[in-house]
Amino acid sequence: MRYLLLSLTILFTLPSMSMAGYREEFEKEFMTKPWAGAQVEENACISCHASDQMKPEFKEIVDAWQASWHAQNKISCEDCHGGDPKDATLAMSRQRGFLGSPQYKDVPEFCGKCHVGILASYLESGHGKALKAGKKAPNCVTCHGSHNIQKANIDIISEQLCTKCHSYERAKIMKVTLFLVEKKAAQLEQSIQELRQEGIYPEDDEKSLFSTQAAFRTLFHTVDVNLVRSRTDEFTSKLDQIDKNVQAMLQDLRSRKNFSAFLMLAFSGMGIIIFLLSTTKKD
Amino acid sequence: MKRRRFLKIVLAFLASITLLSFVYSLLKFLVALPARTAETKKLIIRKNEIPSGDAKDIIFRNTPAVIINRPDKGFIALSRVCTHLGCLVEYNPVKQRLICPCHAGNFDLEGNVLAGPPPKPLTVIPLRIDGENIVIG
Amino acid sequence: MWTKIKTWLDVRIGLDDIIQTKIIDYRIPKNINIFYTLGFLAVIAYAVQALTGIILLIYYIPHPDHAFRSVQDIMTKVPYGWLFRQMHVVGSNLMITVAVLHMITVFLMGNYKRPRELTWLGGGLSLLLTITFGFSGYLLPWTQLSYWATTVVTSMPTAFPLIGEPIAQVLRGGDHVTEITLSRFFALHVAILPPLFLAFMGIHLFLINRIGISATPFGIADEEKRPLTEYKRKIHADGYPYYPVFFQKQMYMMMAYLAVMFFIITFLPNLFFPEEANIPADPFKTPAQIRPAWYLLAPYQLLKLIPNKFFGITIQAVLVALFLVWPFVDTYREKNVLKRPVLRGVFIFLLVMWVVLLFWGRNS
Repeated sequence: MRYLLLSLTILFTLPSMSMAGYREEFEKEFMTKPWAGAQVEENACISCHASDQMKPEFKEIVDAWQASWHAQNKISCEDCHGGDPKDATLAMSRQRGFLGSPQYKDVPEFCGKCHVGILASYLESGHGKALKAGKKAPNCVTCHGSHNIQKANIDIISEQLCTKCHSYERAKIMKVTLFLVEKKAAQLEQSIQELRQEGIYPEDDEKSLFSTQAAFRTLFHTVDVNLVRSRTDEFTSKLDQIDKNVQAMLQDLRSRKNFSAFLMLAFSGMGIIIFLLSTTKKD
Repeated sequence: MKRRRFLKIVLAFLASITLLSFVYSLLKFLVALPARTAETKKLIIRKNEIPSGDAKDIIFRNTPAVIINRPDKGFIALSRVCTHLGCLVEYNPVKQRLICPCHAGNFDLEGNVLAGPPPKPLTVIPLRIDGENIVIG
Repeated sequence: MWTKIKTWLDVRIGLDDIIQTKIIDYRIPKNINIFYTLGFLAVIAYAVQALTGIILLIYYIPHPDHAFRSVQDIMTKVPYGWLFRQMHVVGSNLMITVAVLHMITVFLMGNYKRPRELTWLGGGLSLLLTITFGFSGYLLPWTQLSYWATTVVTSMPTAFPLIGEPIAQVLRGGDHVTEITLSRFFALHVAILPPLFLAFMGIHLFLINRIGISATPFGIADEEKRPLTEYKRKIHADGYPYYPVFFQKQMYMMMAYLAVMFFIITFLPNLFFPEEANIPADPFKTPAQIRPAWYLLAPYQLLKLIPNKFFGITIQAVLVALFLVWPFVDTYREKNVLKRPVLRGVFIFLLVMWVVLLFWGRNS
């Protein structure tokens, strides 16, 4: 019997091992798939701009972008500058929509291709109006940088940055006005993280939080302190609503622990009692 | 054997409360959820409040939504929550589209994604026309 | 009151006779140990899975657009939905653990030997079915973890030449994991595997009852050296009555099983839920680290290690086949594993290797 099995095994194994072609197929299917190893990206822009033959100031761009929040979200060169990242020869041609780098006064519309709401607020603001009138004014890059753009946060409003053109007084007032709402939003983000770690995916509340914070920050770009003050309550109440939902869920999680702990104790108790009740073999 | 008798009683007690907890949880599980009854509330808007080509923002069951009076296809109610990260889309009557101010997601007037990062179409909220009224929900 | 019911039944089906012959006169060997309850535990584990599974079926929606949300609703909106879902998830891992422990103890006590070869085969096939239950159920919540772990596991058969790719295609219903895969796995998990499992379990239990419980080789010497020329049911005339002695053992092991399950649910609720298990599946975004479930980690790691992929998968297929037909190969009469150092050594080596590969796969 066992010899039969053994010979069947050998019969099956040896000739199959001689088939070489499957190896490449398997490697392709299994080992080189993105999830089996590192992802390989073909990007003509980066291949040239990161190479040693490139001018140092252009080379820096790639590193700066790589560290940015855009890069984390898979926004790369062509999303802002146009062009074709798959074709090295036509990468920077007008044919493929390449835009080059924008002039100082055209930067808001450049970023505003995606950040529509912020562009609209900015154009209404003192900063935007000054820029369009040809006067000295900040554009997006002034505060956020061009390639190493990080997630927006309240500390971008700083003495160093704002005193380039005027006194820090008004910027300080704005910062104070924004402070409470931003703090509450940060706390909420923290609580939602806590929920996610516990296995709950609070999609609606997460979206609501993002939307509220985005709307608030869009409003800020009008740099109109009175406007922001008058609408702060609206935003605070939305955040409070989200907070209520999140706290309710956290509370629910705590009570679940109690219920399952009770069941655990009940079962262990019953186990112990049955054990105590059991007739030993000697009976 | 008083001890055995006591143990048996405790066992019976524990077994019944455990069984009861499971039966209780199962029953609550199976019964219609209280949230469901809230979902039967409907919202009624008069047709003439929204002229052709125009739209009205509403809140339906805690979700911001928009009712659009499309010139060619009539009324439609869509959730305004962008499927990308949740910002509220805005109706643009000139371009006949819904545009998200956060990252320029573009949706057509059926809710389908035309451009930008949104991964899925906007949720359509069922509505029907009842004489002079639009009934949502 | 009870006696009235009992008499009523006794007149119709001979209840007293059944109780007497099948429960009280059913004798178990004197040297029985606690490991003999593991098989019963596996059946209880299956019952818990089946019940909680049916309960979850009431709210679960098996389509990629709704699956994740329906599971989230079960966890957050449906009252006590979290309880049944947690029981199902923790239970699935515990069931596989119990089944594997049962297999190990049966092996070490030599209870697969003649005349119990078919019992072992039935049990081995049940274990494979259990693992299939596990990996088909894994996809159903449609999370990042589900989607990508299933992608990895359904690609493993491509290591077979010729038949590998078709097998993977049939499993997935295409080149990638899609809604077709979900439907397929759902049908498998809910409609195809349960009757199969019950059939094999039924055969397994029937055989155990018909052949008779074997005694362990430790303690008293139990002879099964008679020439096997005719059927003879194994009875233990001087053994203990099944009820109450063994029945009690089974009962408190069942309580212990449930206590362990609820311990995990209370104190380690995220033991089987890494971060990717709470994010909806995104076919375009691969998480940094994906791996199959722990019970499939060892085969996965072995496949990654052996340079010749075909050899890697053949070795595993051969080992599985060998493990299934082991009683037919190992016809040596000696049941006591303490007297068989080579077998003991090889078995322990394989077990340790399995655990090493498991942890390697987990950390690589």
